[in-house]
Amino acid sequence: MKELRIGVYVCHCGTNIAAMVDVEKLAKELSEVKNVIVARDYKYMCSDPGQDLIIKDIQEHKLNRIVVAACSPRMHEVTFRKALEKAGLNPYYLEMANIREQCSWVHTNRNEATIKAKDLILAAIKRVKWHEPLDKRSVPINEATLIIGGGISGISAALELANAGKKVYLVEKSNKLGGIMNQIDLTFPFLNSARQILDRKLSEVVNHPNIEIFLNTEIGEIFGYIGNFETQINGNKIVFGNIIVATGLKPFDASRIPEYGYGKLPDVITSLEFENMLKSGDIKTKSGKQPQSIAIIHCVGSRNEKYNVYCSRVCCLTALKYINQINSVLPETSIFDIYADMRTFGKYCEEFYSSTSRKNVTFLVFDQKNELPKIREASSSDKCNLIINFREKLSGEIIEVPADMVILMVGMEAHEAAKEVAHKVGVSMCGNNFYIERHPKLDPVATTTDGVYVVGTCQAPKDIPDSISQAKAAAARILATIEAKTVDVEVTTAFINEDLCCGCQTCIKVCPYSAISFDAVKKVSIVNEVLCKGCGTCAAACPTGAAKAKHFTDVQILSQIEGLFSYA
Amino acid sequence: MNARVNLNVKKDLLKYGAKDWNECFHCGNCTAICPLTDDNSLFPRRAIRLAQMGLKDKIKENVVPWLCYYCGDCSKTCPRNANPGELMMSLRRYLISLYDWTGISRLVYTSKKFELIAIVVIAIFVMILYINFTVYPAGDPNKWLGEDGGVLINNMAHWRKIHLADLIMAGLLSFFLITNIINMWYHMILKDKTVKVNILDYIKGLYLLPLHFITQKRFSKCDESVKTYWYIHLLLVIGYVTMFTMIVGFLEWFQTDKVHPFWHPQRLFGYIATVFLFLGIIYFYYNRRKKLRENSKYSHHTDWAFLVLLFLTVLTGILMHYFRISGMPKLTYITYLLHLMIAVPMLVIEVPFSKWSHLAYRPFAIYFSYIKNLAYKRK
Repeated sequence: MKELRIGVYVCHCGTNIAAMVDVEKLAKELSEVKNVIVARDYKYMCSDPGQDLIIKDIQEHKLNRIVVAACSPRMHEVTFRKALEKAGLNPYYLEMANIREQCSWVHTNRNEATIKAKDLILAAIKRVKWHEPLDKRSVPINEATLIIGGGISGISAALELANAGKKVYLVEKSNKLGGIMNQIDLTFPFLNSARQILDRKLSEVVNHPNIEIFLNTEIGEIFGYIGNFETQINGNKIVFGNIIVATGLKPFDASRIPEYGYGKLPDVITSLEFENMLKSGDIKTKSGKQPQSIAIIHCVGSRNEKYNVYCSRVCCLTALKYINQINSVLPETSIFDIYADMRTFGKYCEEFYSSTSRKNVTFLVFDQKNELPKIREASSSDKCNLIINFREKLSGEIIEVPADMVILMVGMEAHEAAKEVAHKVGVSMCGNNFYIERHPKLDPVATTTDGVYVVGTCQAPKDIPDSISQAKAAAARILATIEAKTVDVEVTTAFINEDLCCGCQTCIKVCPYSAISFDAVKKVSIVNEVLCKGCGTCAAACPTGAAKAKHFTDVQILSQIEGLFSYA
Repeated sequence: MNARVNLNVKKDLLKYGAKDWNECFHCGNCTAICPLTDDNSLFPRRAIRLAQMGLKDKIKENVVPWLCYYCGDCSKTCPRNANPGELMMSLRRYLISLYDWTGISRLVYTSKKFELIAIVVIAIFVMILYINFTVYPAGDPNKWLGEDGGVLINNMAHWRKIHLADLIMAGLLSFFLITNIINMWYHMILKDKTVKVNILDYIKGLYLLPLHFITQKRFSKCDESVKTYWYIHLLLVIGYVTMFTMIVGFLEWFQTDKVHPFWHPQRLFGYIATVFLFLGIIYFYYNRRKKLRENSKYSHHTDWAFLVLLFLTVLTGILMHYFRISGMPKLTYITYLLHLMIAVPMLVIEVPFSKWSHLAYRPFAIYFSYIKNLAYKRK
């Protein structure tokens, strides 16, 4: 090993660190540590003069390892790595000691904080000795995209990509495109026809030269990684660089709730069945009569611990849409809207609620937590088909609501096929079987698998505009990666020492990214570095020590620990 | 049996003057801001709910509309303009018609035509009786004058006859009012099986009846802005009670042939009561006309009928008094007739069946609610 020449830089961070840690004393003491050539303190290391200081020292003193004692590496590791690169040093020869978040900000005793800061820096000095130079890697991108699911989300993403001149393979399980939107009459809050919106999109998709549609098709095993996926469709091999998963939803099965008698009481119907009535323009009870009163029950299968705890997000507004539609078709019919909470977020949606609430409708509140309404057949003296019985929350009274027809606002569940697809494309699912996005706030479109995006109701219940936004966002993300021609992949990945590997395949079982495969000829495990995220699970699990995580090797971590205890 | 939601009640309430209360989404602002509501009786929100659902039986048992004096703070601050105050007012009208077992009240409230015809029919009936049982002052006017120049009123319409008629009327009105109050009591206290009011409770609360009848003490607890309103209402009540007592109780003393000096209690009390009444009428008329306050923004036809009849009663009373002390027998006779033709229908319709019945329902509601709370606390 070449002679170690370490530079240590202690940042004041204004007074953020300097107020609680004696940075000048630290710099002075650290300059006496073995292998440390220079140790300096500076007001703001991250500033341009701060960085220039490091660059100049590297060049002047021929430094080959740098320790920056400052903020969290999450904040400025990239900044300092760039500085190293600029000075002609491999950026991975940097180690940061976090003496702000983990020291100055959380302590009140200056003396003790200074001791702790020194411990942290000594640990970094010990660790940086074992750092190895790592090289950046990138892979080329195949321009085609595979879209799984031909609902409004899949269609929207397909059009966006295809219009940009990129090839799209659109795979749909059923025999027609359009998904759940095929079953919807009008959309909220403007009461536009879903059919019209969908038809326009469908004709574009069907006639688009860049979109290849596969109906009645289920996706097979998918191999590869971002930029270079491949699969078989109907016996033909197709290759593509990105995947959009848009498998959609499954309506909640209302017969699971015994109180509502769905399936037993003929005039208790689901919202989708009612959509069908609206589409045919024929709102009739099973006996063929015009209903004198219609009750709508919200949150069927949603926001209930027994079924699904989450909110399905579209039912409240759909119910309000029904109120408007019933009111205009059957103005004499009484409408009872039985809800738990009225949730009408979204553009023009509160306004929609506000105007609907002024219509001929009676809102009633049931207690979602303790007691669901019970529907029973009415007796002949009741002059209606059904009686709904529950404790009305806003009055505290137990009431009976007469109705000729009850509409159950069934919630959304993840599609049955979601689990299978998740396994094939390598995305994870939450407890409710919806796909998990990479970050719930900062990256709600991508997944933890590069090149795989989730859009529409397979990610979470959402309405049409939200689905379309997410689909177009995914398309834009894919276009951006295509435009870059290549994609950088993680360099701090795992690697397996073939000489030490015993072929037990423990690492394959534990890898959360399916990044390790087994070489049957050599009888050793092999890491696909494009898929690997460098999480280190395999390194921890490997019984022989063959699997190692680059930049987090045993010797690096053990030295760091050793350094932590070397002072005191 | 559970309460059945009934939307017809909703439609019905519109006839009683309710406005847009369907707008209410139960934020509870009204109950929070109401200066009169307390833990024992929370209103108006819950009452709005009962009205929205049309739970007729529950409304009938509900005392809270009577505990509200309509300061209007709830309506003023309602985020949805749902007019909780006016709904409480409408519920009071509705309750009056629900307590009334004869069904007359319902007709008065829901039909302007009925109210008008009823007034006319009673007025004609009064006229027939008056003409039959009194003597027209024909011939020499001086024959009908006393030594002090005043009209010998008891020679044409003797106080005994009028007094008898008064008592019969008062008996009749009391009968209706009392039976209606028994009906109210049945629904509020007896029907409620969750609580048992014992005899001691009834006695303990008894003092509330005269107290609230005379002072409308709760009313004065409303917001500061209603203080003037309350004072004027109090003067009106004092004027009315004074007049009623003098006329129905002591007509022999009040309807004299002799013209007493100005400072004589008969005349003085009469004048003071008249001033109080007039002041009230003008104030309330002005408020309603200009829609100055929340509680005068919306006027039901029964509100106007009451004000107009009371005004005409007082006006004819003054004229008759003037003609009597000025020695004008014919005019005295005619204005007395007119006075009775207005006052009697007013009392017959308003007291047991319409707006004026609140003089009994309000104190009784406070009484019932108090004794019910006593029983609850014991539980």
